[in-house]
Amino acid sequence: MSEATPHDDLHRHDETRLEARIQKAVGPLGVAMSLLAIAYAWTVFQAPVDSVQGIIQKILYVHPPLAYGAYLGFVVTAVAGAAFLRREREEWDRLAIAAAEVGVIFCTLMLITGPIWAKGTWGRWWSWDPRLTVTLLLWFVYLAYLLLRSFAGPGPRTARFASIYGIVGVVLIPLNYYIIEIFDKRSMHPENLERGSLGDGMGWPFLVGNLTLFFAFVYLLLLRWSIENLRARDARRAAMEGSA
Amino acid sequence: MSYLIAAYAVTVVTLVGYAGTLVRERARRRSTERDGG
Repeated sequence: MSEATPHDDLHRHDETRLEARIQKAVGPLGVAMSLLAIAYAWTVFQAPVDSVQGIIQKILYVHPPLAYGAYLGFVVTAVAGAAFLRREREEWDRLAIAAAEVGVIFCTLMLITGPIWAKGTWGRWWSWDPRLTVTLLLWFVYLAYLLLRSFAGPGPRTARFASIYGIVGVVLIPLNYYIIEIFDKRSMHPENLERGSLGDGMGWPFLVGNLTLFFAFVYLLLLRWSIENLRARDARRAAMEGSA
Repeated sequence: MSYLIAAYAVTVVTLVGYAGTLVRERARRRSTERDGG
Protein backbone atom coordinates (compact mmCIF):
# COMPACT_ATOMS: atom_id res chain seq x y z
CA MET A 1 0.00 0.00 0.00
CA SER A 2 1.01 3.63 -0.40
CA GLU A 3 2.34 5.88 2.34
CA ALA A 4 -0.05 8.02 4.37
CA THR A 5 -0.85 11.30 2.65
CA PRO A 6 -1.93 14.62 4.25
CA HIS A 7 -5.44 13.78 2.95
CA ASP A 8 -5.37 10.50 4.89
CA ASP A 9 -4.36 12.38 8.06
CA LEU A 10 -7.24 14.81 7.56
CA HIS A 11 -9.61 11.92 6.94
CA ARG A 12 -8.46 10.12 10.11
CA HIS A 13 -8.84 13.36 12.08
CA ASP A 14 -12.44 13.72 10.80
CA GLU A 15 -13.18 10.09 11.69
CA THR A 16 -11.83 10.57 15.23
CA ARG A 17 -13.98 13.70 15.62
CA LEU A 18 -17.04 11.83 14.35
CA GLU A 19 -16.40 8.95 16.77
CA ALA A 20 -16.01 11.42 19.68
CA ARG A 21 -19.33 13.06 18.76
CA ILE A 22 -21.10 9.69 18.61
CA GLN A 23 -19.55 8.75 21.95
CA LYS A 24 -20.85 12.01 23.44
CA ALA A 25 -24.35 11.50 22.03
CA VAL A 26 -25.10 7.83 22.83
CA GLY A 27 -25.03 8.20 26.66
CA PRO A 28 -27.62 11.02 26.94
CA LEU A 29 -29.67 9.41 24.17
CA GLY A 30 -29.75 6.12 26.06
CA VAL A 31 -30.90 7.90 29.24
CA ALA A 32 -33.59 9.90 27.37
CA MET A 33 -34.77 6.73 25.65
CA SER A 34 -35.04 4.80 28.94
CA LEU A 35 -37.05 7.62 30.58
CA LEU A 36 -39.29 7.87 27.54
CA ALA A 37 -39.80 4.09 27.56
CA ILE A 38 -41.15 4.31 31.13
CA ALA A 39 -43.51 7.15 30.12
CA TYR A 40 -44.48 5.13 27.02
CA ALA A 41 -45.41 2.03 29.04
CA TRP A 42 -47.42 4.19 31.45
CA THR A 43 -49.35 6.10 28.74
CA VAL A 44 -50.15 2.86 26.85
CA PHE A 45 -51.36 1.28 30.10
CA GLN A 46 -53.52 4.35 30.83
CA ALA A 47 -54.86 4.73 27.28
CA PRO A 48 -58.60 4.12 26.88
CA VAL A 49 -59.79 0.77 25.53
CA ASP A 50 -61.30 1.12 22.05
CA SER A 51 -65.07 0.45 21.99
CA VAL A 52 -64.94 -1.45 18.67
CA GLN A 53 -61.65 -3.42 18.67
CA GLY A 54 -61.15 -3.74 22.40
CA ILE A 55 -57.71 -3.85 24.03
CA ILE A 56 -55.91 -5.13 20.92
CA GLN A 57 -56.30 -1.66 19.39
CA LYS A 58 -53.42 -0.58 21.70
CA ILE A 59 -51.08 -2.13 19.10
CA LEU A 60 -51.69 1.23 17.40
CA TYR A 61 -49.10 2.74 19.75
CA VAL A 62 -46.32 0.50 18.45
CA HIS A 63 -47.16 -0.56 14.88
CA PRO A 64 -47.26 2.85 13.07
CA PRO A 65 -44.22 4.20 15.01
CA LEU A 66 -42.28 1.12 13.80
CA ALA A 67 -43.43 1.91 10.25
CA TYR A 68 -42.19 5.52 10.57
CA GLY A 69 -38.84 4.23 11.90
CA ALA A 70 -38.53 1.88 8.91
CA TYR A 71 -39.35 4.72 6.48
CA LEU A 72 -36.83 6.96 8.23
CA GLY A 73 -34.12 4.29 7.99
CA PHE A 74 -34.63 3.87 4.25
CA VAL A 75 -34.79 7.64 3.65
CA VAL A 76 -31.50 8.07 5.56
CA THR A 77 -30.03 5.25 3.43
CA ALA A 78 -31.04 7.13 0.28
CA VAL A 79 -29.88 10.55 1.50
CA ALA A 80 -26.54 9.19 2.77
CA GLY A 81 -26.13 7.30 -0.54
CA ALA A 82 -26.73 10.54 -2.46
CA ALA A 83 -24.22 12.34 -0.22
CA PHE A 84 -21.68 9.57 -0.90
CA LEU A 85 -22.21 9.83 -4.68
CA ARG A 86 -21.68 13.59 -4.47
CA ARG A 87 -18.79 13.80 -1.98
CA GLU A 88 -17.21 10.30 -2.26
CA ARG A 89 -16.74 10.26 1.54
CA GLU A 90 -16.85 6.73 2.95
CA GLU A 91 -18.52 7.88 6.18
CA TRP A 92 -21.70 8.59 4.20
CA ASP A 93 -21.64 5.13 2.69
CA ARG A 94 -21.20 3.60 6.15
CA LEU A 95 -24.15 5.69 7.43
CA ALA A 96 -26.24 4.31 4.53
CA ILE A 97 -25.37 0.72 5.56
CA ALA A 98 -26.19 1.44 9.22
CA ALA A 99 -29.51 3.11 8.37
CA ALA A 100 -30.53 0.24 6.06
CA GLU A 101 -29.89 -2.31 8.80
CA VAL A 102 -31.81 -0.38 11.48
CA GLY A 103 -34.58 0.30 8.94
CA VAL A 104 -34.85 -3.42 8.14
CA ILE A 105 -35.10 -4.23 11.88
CA PHE A 106 -37.95 -1.71 12.26
CA CYS A 107 -39.61 -2.96 9.05
CA THR A 108 -39.37 -6.57 10.27
CA LEU A 109 -41.05 -5.60 13.53
CA MET A 110 -43.72 -3.71 11.61
CA LEU A 111 -44.30 -6.89 9.56
CA ILE A 112 -44.63 -8.93 12.77
CA THR A 113 -46.82 -6.57 14.80
CA GLY A 114 -49.14 -5.90 11.82
CA PRO A 115 -50.15 -9.55 11.31
CA ILE A 116 -50.58 -9.99 15.10
CA TRP A 117 -53.02 -7.06 15.04
CA ALA A 118 -54.67 -8.42 11.87
CA LYS A 119 -55.18 -11.86 13.41
CA GLY A 120 -56.84 -10.30 16.44
CA THR A 121 -59.17 -8.03 14.42
CA TRP A 122 -59.61 -9.48 10.90
CA GLY A 123 -59.22 -13.10 12.01
CA ARG A 124 -56.29 -13.90 9.73
CA TRP A 125 -52.57 -13.24 9.84
CA TRP A 126 -52.06 -11.96 6.29
CA SER A 127 -53.95 -10.77 3.24
CA TRP A 128 -52.49 -9.64 -0.08
CA ASP A 129 -53.83 -6.19 0.53
CA PRO A 130 -52.02 -3.40 -1.44
CA ARG A 131 -50.45 -1.81 1.67
CA LEU A 132 -49.24 -5.15 3.04
CA THR A 133 -47.87 -6.27 -0.32
CA VAL A 134 -45.89 -3.05 -0.91
CA THR A 135 -44.58 -3.17 2.67
CA LEU A 136 -43.32 -6.70 2.08
CA LEU A 137 -41.72 -5.56 -1.19
CA LEU A 138 -40.04 -2.65 0.64
CA TRP A 139 -38.65 -5.09 3.20
CA PHE A 140 -37.28 -7.36 0.45
CA VAL A 141 -35.68 -4.40 -1.37
CA TYR A 142 -33.67 -3.30 1.66
CA LEU A 143 -32.95 -6.84 2.79
CA ALA A 144 -31.42 -7.33 -0.67
CA TYR A 145 -29.43 -4.10 -0.10
CA LEU A 146 -27.95 -5.61 3.09
CA LEU A 147 -27.21 -8.91 1.33
CA LEU A 148 -25.48 -6.99 -1.46
CA ARG A 149 -23.32 -5.12 1.06
CA SER A 150 -22.52 -8.29 2.92
CA PHE A 151 -21.61 -10.46 -0.09
CA ALA A 152 -20.09 -7.92 -2.49
CA GLY A 153 -17.51 -6.75 0.06
CA PRO A 154 -16.10 -3.24 0.37
CA GLY A 155 -14.99 -1.05 -2.49
CA PRO A 156 -16.06 2.12 -4.32
CA ARG A 157 -17.89 0.27 -7.13
CA THR A 158 -20.11 -1.66 -4.69
CA ALA A 159 -20.68 1.52 -2.68
CA ARG A 160 -21.72 3.49 -5.79
CA PHE A 161 -24.05 0.75 -7.00
CA ALA A 162 -25.57 0.32 -3.52
CA SER A 163 -26.08 4.09 -3.22
CA ILE A 164 -28.06 4.18 -6.46
CA TYR A 165 -30.02 1.08 -5.42
CA GLY A 166 -30.82 2.65 -2.02
CA ILE A 167 -32.04 5.85 -3.70
CA VAL A 168 -34.24 3.98 -6.22
CA GLY A 169 -35.73 1.76 -3.48
CA VAL A 170 -36.99 4.75 -1.51
CA VAL A 171 -39.68 5.48 -4.17
CA LEU A 172 -41.65 2.62 -2.60
CA ILE A 173 -42.19 4.70 0.56
CA PRO A 174 -44.60 7.33 -0.88
CA LEU A 175 -46.21 4.54 -2.91
CA ASN A 176 -46.69 2.52 0.29
CA TYR A 177 -48.12 5.50 2.14
CA TYR A 178 -50.57 6.62 -0.55
CA ILE A 179 -51.50 3.20 -1.95
CA ILE A 180 -54.69 3.13 0.12
CA GLU A 181 -55.85 6.35 -1.62
CA ILE A 182 -54.64 5.01 -5.00
CA PHE A 183 -56.78 1.89 -4.54
CA ASP A 184 -59.66 4.15 -3.51
CA LYS A 185 -60.04 2.54 -0.10
CA ARG A 186 -60.45 -0.98 -1.58
CA SER A 187 -58.06 -2.10 1.14
CA MET A 188 -58.51 -3.94 4.40
CA HIS A 189 -55.84 -1.73 5.93
CA PRO A 190 -57.32 1.31 7.68
CA GLU A 191 -56.82 4.79 6.23
CA ASN A 192 -53.72 6.83 7.00
CA LEU A 193 -53.94 8.65 10.31
CA GLU A 194 -54.94 12.29 10.13
CA ARG A 195 -55.43 15.07 12.66
CA GLY A 196 -58.44 14.18 14.79
CA SER A 197 -58.67 10.54 13.66
CA LEU A 198 -57.56 9.26 17.06
CA GLY A 199 -60.13 8.94 19.84
CA ASP A 200 -60.06 10.89 23.11
CA GLY A 201 -57.03 10.03 25.24
CA MET A 202 -55.22 8.23 22.39
CA GLY A 203 -53.13 11.18 21.21
CA TRP A 204 -50.64 11.19 24.09
CA PRO A 205 -49.70 7.49 24.01
CA PHE A 206 -49.37 7.74 20.23
CA LEU A 207 -47.08 10.78 20.52
CA VAL A 208 -44.96 9.26 23.32
CA GLY A 209 -44.73 5.98 21.37
CA ASN A 210 -43.48 7.82 18.31
CA LEU A 211 -40.96 9.83 20.34
CA THR A 212 -39.64 6.72 22.15
CA LEU A 213 -39.18 4.75 18.96
CA PHE A 214 -37.63 7.78 17.23
CA PHE A 215 -35.04 8.07 20.03
CA ALA A 216 -34.49 4.30 19.85
CA PHE A 217 -33.95 4.61 16.10
CA VAL A 218 -31.35 7.39 16.47
CA TYR A 219 -29.58 5.54 19.30
CA LEU A 220 -29.34 2.30 17.29
CA LEU A 221 -28.30 4.17 14.15
CA LEU A 222 -25.43 5.95 15.91
CA LEU A 223 -24.19 2.70 17.51
CA ARG A 224 -24.35 0.84 14.20
CA TRP A 225 -22.64 3.71 12.32
CA SER A 226 -19.88 3.80 14.92
CA ILE A 227 -19.29 0.03 14.51
CA GLU A 228 -19.08 0.44 10.74
CA ASN A 229 -16.49 3.24 11.18
CA LEU A 230 -14.46 1.15 13.65
CA ARG A 231 -14.62 -1.85 11.32
CA ALA A 232 -13.31 0.24 8.40
CA ARG A 233 -10.46 1.57 10.57
CA ASP A 234 -9.60 -2.02 11.59
CA ALA A 235 -9.53 -3.13 7.96
CA ARG A 236 -7.34 -0.15 6.97
CA ARG A 237 -4.91 -0.82 9.82
CA ALA A 238 -4.72 -4.52 8.93
CA ALA A 239 -4.03 -3.61 5.29
CA MET A 240 -1.27 -1.16 6.32
CA GLU A 241 0.31 -3.75 8.63
CA GLY A 242 0.11 -6.32 5.83
CA SER A 243 1.90 -4.04 3.42
CA ALA A 244 4.58 -2.93 5.96
CA MET B 1 -54.84 -9.56 25.42
CA SER B 2 -52.29 -12.23 24.42
CA TYR B 3 -51.97 -10.68 20.92
CA LEU B 4 -51.29 -7.29 22.49
CA ILE B 5 -48.64 -8.71 24.83
CA ALA B 6 -47.04 -10.63 21.96
CA ALA B 7 -46.78 -7.48 19.79
CA TYR B 8 -45.11 -5.41 22.53
CA ALA B 9 -42.95 -8.29 23.78
CA VAL B 10 -41.49 -9.09 20.36
CA THR B 11 -40.72 -5.39 19.79
CA VAL B 12 -39.06 -4.83 23.16
CA VAL B 13 -37.06 -8.09 23.11
CA THR B 14 -35.84 -7.49 19.54
CA LEU B 15 -34.85 -3.85 20.05
CA VAL B 16 -33.20 -4.45 23.44
CA GLY B 17 -31.41 -7.54 22.11
CA TYR B 18 -30.19 -5.68 19.02
CA ALA B 19 -29.03 -2.70 21.12
CA GLY B 20 -27.16 -5.06 23.47
CA THR B 21 -25.43 -6.74 20.55
CA LEU B 22 -24.37 -3.37 19.12
CA VAL B 23 -23.10 -2.07 22.49
CA ARG B 24 -21.00 -5.23 23.05
CA GLU B 25 -19.62 -5.23 19.50
CA ARG B 26 -18.71 -1.55 19.71
CA ALA B 27 -17.02 -2.01 23.09
CA ARG B 28 -15.04 -4.96 21.73
CA ARG B 29 -13.84 -3.01 18.69
CA ARG B 30 -12.95 0.06 20.75
CA SER B 31 -10.94 -2.01 23.22
CA THR B 32 -9.14 -3.79 20.35
CA GLU B 33 -8.31 -0.39 18.88
CA ARG B 34 -7.04 0.94 22.23
CA ASP B 35 -4.86 -2.17 22.64
CA GLY B 36 -3.37 -1.48 19.23
CA GLY B 37 -4.90 -4.30 17.23
